[in-house]
Amino acid sequence: MITIAPAIYLVLTSLTPLNLTLPDTAWDFSAPAGNYLDLAEDPRFTRSVWIQVKLSVATVFLQLLVGLGVALLLNGSSRIREMARSGFLIPMVLPPIVVGILWRVMYAVDISPFHRFMAFVGLPVPSLITDPNWALTAIVIAETWEWFPFTMLMVLAALQMIPASPLEAARIDGANDWQIFRFVMFPYIQSTLVVAAIFRLIDSIKAFPLIFVLTDGGPGDVTEVTNYYAYRQAFTFSLWGYGSAIATLMVAGVFVLSYLIDRLTGVAHAEAD
Amino acid sequence: MTQQTPGGSHRRPRDPGDQEESMAHPHLRVTRRQALRTGAGALFIPFTLRAGKAPAQGGRKPFDGVTLNISCWSATYPKLIADYLPEFQEKTGIKVNYDTPGFPVYNQRADLELSTKGSGFDVLNVTFIYTSRWIGAGWLTPLDPFIADANKTPADWDFADFVSGSVQPMRDKAGALYGIPWISDVLMAAAARFDLLAANGFGMPDTLDDLEKALQVVNKKDGVSGFITENHWGWIYPAYLQAFGGNVFRNPPDDLMPTLDTPEAAAAAETLARLLNSYGPEAAAGYTYDQVTEALRAGRINYSTHNHAFCALLGEEGSKVTKTSNFAMIPKGPKGRFPGVASHGWGIPVGAKNKDAAWEFIKWSLSKDLVQRMTQKHGLGSVTRKSLIGSADYKQRMVINGIDTGQLFLDSIAMSEQGYMKYRTVHVYPQANAQITQALGRIISGQMKAKESLALAQANTIADLKRAGVRFGATPCQFGNSPGVRSVSGPSYSASPRRCWCLP
Repeated sequence: MITIAPAIYLVLTSLTPLNLTLPDTAWDFSAPAGNYLDLAEDPRFTRSVWIQVKLSVATVFLQLLVGLGVALLLNGSSRIREMARSGFLIPMVLPPIVVGILWRVMYAVDISPFHRFMAFVGLPVPSLITDPNWALTAIVIAETWEWFPFTMLMVLAALQMIPASPLEAARIDGANDWQIFRFVMFPYIQSTLVVAAIFRLIDSIKAFPLIFVLTDGGPGDVTEVTNYYAYRQAFTFSLWGYGSAIATLMVAGVFVLSYLIDRLTGVAHAEAD
Repeated sequence: MTQQTPGGSHRRPRDPGDQEESMAHPHLRVTRRQALRTGAGALFIPFTLRAGKAPAQGGRKPFDGVTLNISCWSATYPKLIADYLPEFQEKTGIKVNYDTPGFPVYNQRADLELSTKGSGFDVLNVTFIYTSRWIGAGWLTPLDPFIADANKTPADWDFADFVSGSVQPMRDKAGALYGIPWISDVLMAAAARFDLLAANGFGMPDTLDDLEKALQVVNKKDGVSGFITENHWGWIYPAYLQAFGGNVFRNPPDDLMPTLDTPEAAAAAETLARLLNSYGPEAAAGYTYDQVTEALRAGRINYSTHNHAFCALLGEEGSKVTKTSNFAMIPKGPKGRFPGVASHGWGIPVGAKNKDAAWEFIKWSLSKDLVQRMTQKHGLGSVTRKSLIGSADYKQRMVINGIDTGQLFLDSIAMSEQGYMKYRTVHVYPQANAQITQALGRIISGQMKAKESLALAQANTIADLKRAGVRFGATPCQFGNSPGVRSVSGPSYSASPRRCWCLP
């Protein structure tokens, strides 16, 4: 009940035109579908969903790729590797707002070591967060940096669970590193990667602090993802009914997405078995 | 929680509304014990009539044990207040939890807190663009009773000393007061490296054309970028828009039809975008007001249309441009000069628990003595007390490199009495503000042409305003609570009537 009560309130609010400056709107259920009908005709909402899709696909893909790569590098036992593992976890345990500030500095042309270095070597880079062609990419880079350790950690755990005998057998049979990874290791970590992808996909939909600190949804609206749009409607315009309708659709979307992924991976596993 | 009354007696408030009720109806709920206490306290009246200086009994301070939660957006004055808070605690016994988040964060937090009529904060900044919304919704406490009560406000605190133009936005339609202004800021022009303009035969640009001609010559001279302005486009852009003959709404506050898709709006946006993109530093579109101020003080950027409160810091310690600065009113456009003017003030949320103590804070923080010390020691500009603005000391302080910025401030405020700032205090300006910010972001970053982006902003603003309950039409309604006025959201929301124009 504790978990579900706020969600019920969210859904109920989404059925009202709740506007904080108009108290009578709080329990007005005279047009329960009003907000949802508005959303269907709201191009900014549709656009925000598309931006969300781009952000989620790019960040999840990169986090899996980088996480997997680093996990493979760190798989093994040596003092340096153990220290490196701890080091790589730092971005994930930093408060999101700190990560935002850190990347804000990194993207500030005047003071960023990255920009200064690129300018020094004769390859000046424009400000990524104020360039509409790069702003979303800038968010993707920061988001990937923050969360690839999650994938790395999960994959590393899976890699260390692989029994030694199939790896030794493959080596004796003359398999190269790529073949060992593709035909021996990958089947073992495949399901872990799927679980990591689901977690990261759901979490990517919650992307907020980085956008808030780095771009405020801009320039224009190129980084205005769906939850940022909901936030703007609720907190800037006091339209809590409309904001709740957006949030409700997001919750529903996450449920549907999780269900589909679960079904697809279930089918894949069944076929593999 | 024990509080001392002006008479020197102590009492324990029954509930948050207790103090106000007792103030309004002193004859109510007088018990024998209270009468005895009041009688005893009366002996001290001759010593305590100078309110605000009530002596403590037995070493106790007037509000010992009271803690106030206070918040304001981050600006020079609120940040300075933090340094002086120990004085306030020493004087009154009131402890203060105080924070100054960034402008957008503050506004969102305060808007939410006020809308719940909660008691989380005792004193909040009344933000200019939210004045109509917060006051109209009844989220703030009327302050007139505090001012009128001689026991709470001594005559020498002198409310009449505040600039009337700054006070006006803090009143409702009936004239009741809900905020005491701590700043009236104006948009003006600053040239941090005026020496570069002078060396090339230019004075301070009087028009936008003059400005662009000068920038074409001095941009990047001595490694200094020519132009910058803060990326709060909802504040900066309207000054350019009005200079080109446009406005945000058709006729605010009566006609709230947005007018962002006009040729004047496009011309103004193109000019602002061109100034930033052609003469600004790298990432010019991302500069916040703090960054603009520091870039000017460091002499990295030459010219800006910037707030007086920040421009005044060019003459303060740490500035590298004190000897090269020059100032002027914001440049004219084809249709004239429209310096933006905004006031922010301290207010008491309607749900605040410690309203008397909150008023003590407001009185102290805006006392002549404290504000004067801030102007003298820290060069605080854009103050709201006429006696300070007119004082020789302040005038001298506001003279930077021979330019009287205080006079520019007064001249700009005088211009605003034409009423061109009305667009900013309508209850739905936050919606327009957000759309302007996005539209200018698209234009300056080259995503869209001005005409296209502003047409989109126009459509989006209309959608947002409709969602907020505003109805649009070609003619005003002839029914409702007065001619041309009706309940904005139809019968369902008639409890909150708003001025609007409706569908014919």
